[in-house]
Amino acid sequence: MLWLYVHFPHLLLDHLRAHRSDDAPLVVAGSNGALVEQACPQAQAQGITPGMRLKTAISLAPELVPVEPDPEQADRVLEQQARWLYRYAARITLYPPDGLLAEASSLERLYGSAAAFWRSVAQALDERRLTYQIALGKTPLAARLCARQGTGERTTSEPHLNALVAALPLHALELDATTEKRLQRLGLSTLREVQQLPPAEVARRLTPETLAHIQRLQGERPDPQTPWEPPHLFREQVDFVREVEQSQGLLFPLQRILEELETDLRWRQEDTDTLSLMLRHPNQPPTRLRIRTAGPEHRAGAFLELIRLRLDQQPLSAPVRSLVLVVRRFLSRQAGTPTDLLGDGEDRAEAWQTLVSRLQARLGDQALHRLSPQADHRPERAWAATGMRSGTTTDRLVSPPRPLWLLRQPRPLSHAPTDWFSGPERISGGWWDGERVLRDYYIARLDTGQLAWVFRDVRDGWFIHGWYG
Amino acid sequence: MSELLDHLMQEASVWQGRRAASQHLSVEATGHPELDHSLGDSGWPRGALSECLLAHEGIGELQLALPLMRRVTERGQMVFWVNPPHTPYAPELNRQGVGLDQVVVVRTEDDGDLLWTLENCLRSPVTGLVMAWPGRLTARAIRRLQLAAEAGDNVCLLFRAEKEAMQSSPAALRLKASPVSDTALHLDILKRRGGWPGQSCAIRLGDRTGLPEATAAESVVAGPWQGAGA
Repeated sequence: MLWLYVHFPHLLLDHLRAHRSDDAPLVVAGSNGALVEQACPQAQAQGITPGMRLKTAISLAPELVPVEPDPEQADRVLEQQARWLYRYAARITLYPPDGLLAEASSLERLYGSAAAFWRSVAQALDERRLTYQIALGKTPLAARLCARQGTGERTTSEPHLNALVAALPLHALELDATTEKRLQRLGLSTLREVQQLPPAEVARRLTPETLAHIQRLQGERPDPQTPWEPPHLFREQVDFVREVEQSQGLLFPLQRILEELETDLRWRQEDTDTLSLMLRHPNQPPTRLRIRTAGPEHRAGAFLELIRLRLDQQPLSAPVRSLVLVVRRFLSRQAGTPTDLLGDGEDRAEAWQTLVSRLQARLGDQALHRLSPQADHRPERAWAATGMRSGTTTDRLVSPPRPLWLLRQPRPLSHAPTDWFSGPERISGGWWDGERVLRDYYIARLDTGQLAWVFRDVRDGWFIHGWYG
Repeated sequence: MSELLDHLMQEASVWQGRRAASQHLSVEATGHPELDHSLGDSGWPRGALSECLLAHEGIGELQLALPLMRRVTERGQMVFWVNPPHTPYAPELNRQGVGLDQVVVVRTEDDGDLLWTLENCLRSPVTGLVMAWPGRLTARAIRRLQLAAEAGDNVCLLFRAEKEAMQSSPAALRLKASPVSDTALHLDILKRRGGWPGQSCAIRLGDRTGLPEATAAESVVAGPWQGAGA
């Protein structure tokens, strides 16, 4: 079995860097401000190293941006990496806070060799501008330790891999401090020297756990891994080091997330029509936005356009500390059915969806509706406003002649009409649902020249209910 | 005299405005032969605004656009009703042969949204006809609308109040509608791009009420409602 381990020396900083447009050096430093825990390459170039006092670091680089460590956030970022790695490997195990393990030998046939798999992963990591150390190993633990030590090599030859592991220094073996010290006192400095001791001696002189650890490292003891299951949702979060006050500032990171979403949807072979966007504010409940498209969509540009419209309509109520984009609804993509030779129909459908999405984003979902006739005798019930997504109703109900305008509320008739044209037509119904209607309808012309549909109801009142427009 | 005219015509030394009009304007027949004729055998201008000015709804103004609505929906293009004053009555539209799948009603809250909506609808290739009841508009807003209409190749029909006739407008066609009888609508052409204004015509609104024309008045059952109401 071969395993590939990716170690991220400062994943959180890479994550924050991706959403920043400037190039200021970043470090992770504890809240009590004592020591630098992680430093990004820019900070390291200025002489800042992990373990340094934050005060010293700031005097080296005045524009330094310190970030507080947040284990929860680190786990989330790691999971984001696992999600794209899942496209390359089926069996992934998460090693929080900074490592991913992938089983490589079953992928040899797919990629040609484990080395080619390494290359693909490394390329994907480079594209995401992450800092990483990769190693291959015969056991999960061997791969992990080599990657953390940074001594991984792109080779699959067994003796070579064994030699790499054997060369690991004692402090890289992740032994507990007392064991490490005892081994040092024995005059040992690398794993090779420990391996040369008889196993029984190791167990007797040290602890049985130490022996188990070394055996797992060498593959002499099983080391089962729990594979990670990708969740069936897309969730991406951006945390801002400095709060964003203008909605314009959200669009830059959103674009990157939406591109990630587009890739994700392409891999899933799915579309979506609902995005949930949550903006977290410092001292306020978060703002939640639902962005809906008129039809299945996967293009980042289309989503971004809708979000831009929405943010234009709804200015930020408070500075934004972080934003979360979640997609829960996935629609399987349907093969296009081109209706004509030039594929014009396809374009039209797309243009239509784009237009409706744009209008709904700015005006709200309720602002647009379609009309459909309903089977009911009461004029106000004989039509319904239906949503833009609902299926089309093509059934042709046969209806008697009616006016083209229906008033939203019947209006009392104030002057006697000048001419009468037809009537009465009695409409009676609604006794079954409590909205009883008993009216006699006439067509009449008013002195203004308007042709009206008037009725007299059971209480002897006269009303205008429609205009013959 | 007529000899002289014939001579001038044959020599082609006189510019004939009437013929030039319909050549470069892209038009869409209105479906009312009388109106088409008065417009110099053209129709609704495409890629420009048309205005219909009227005092009240219910004089047959929708009949004006009905043939076009029918044609546009048959082609599978969309008809937008933006801010209609009342509810477009679906059963009757259906009965008149307008494809309801292609009809969308849009409501906007302010002038900014209205202009933006019209611009977007007019620019889209899926649109065939946009009808709007904009209310009062500033000259600047109308100008912006005209520019939006020029960006697309669609018919945009604005229904406005009669008193707006006094305001100048960049619309390519302005009609004033006034009622004549239950079966006819009188139209005055106030302005026509590439042609002379001042013509007028009456269009027939045959099946507006769906009644046979002869049955009017006689079919009403006389009763106590005569003179009622007031």
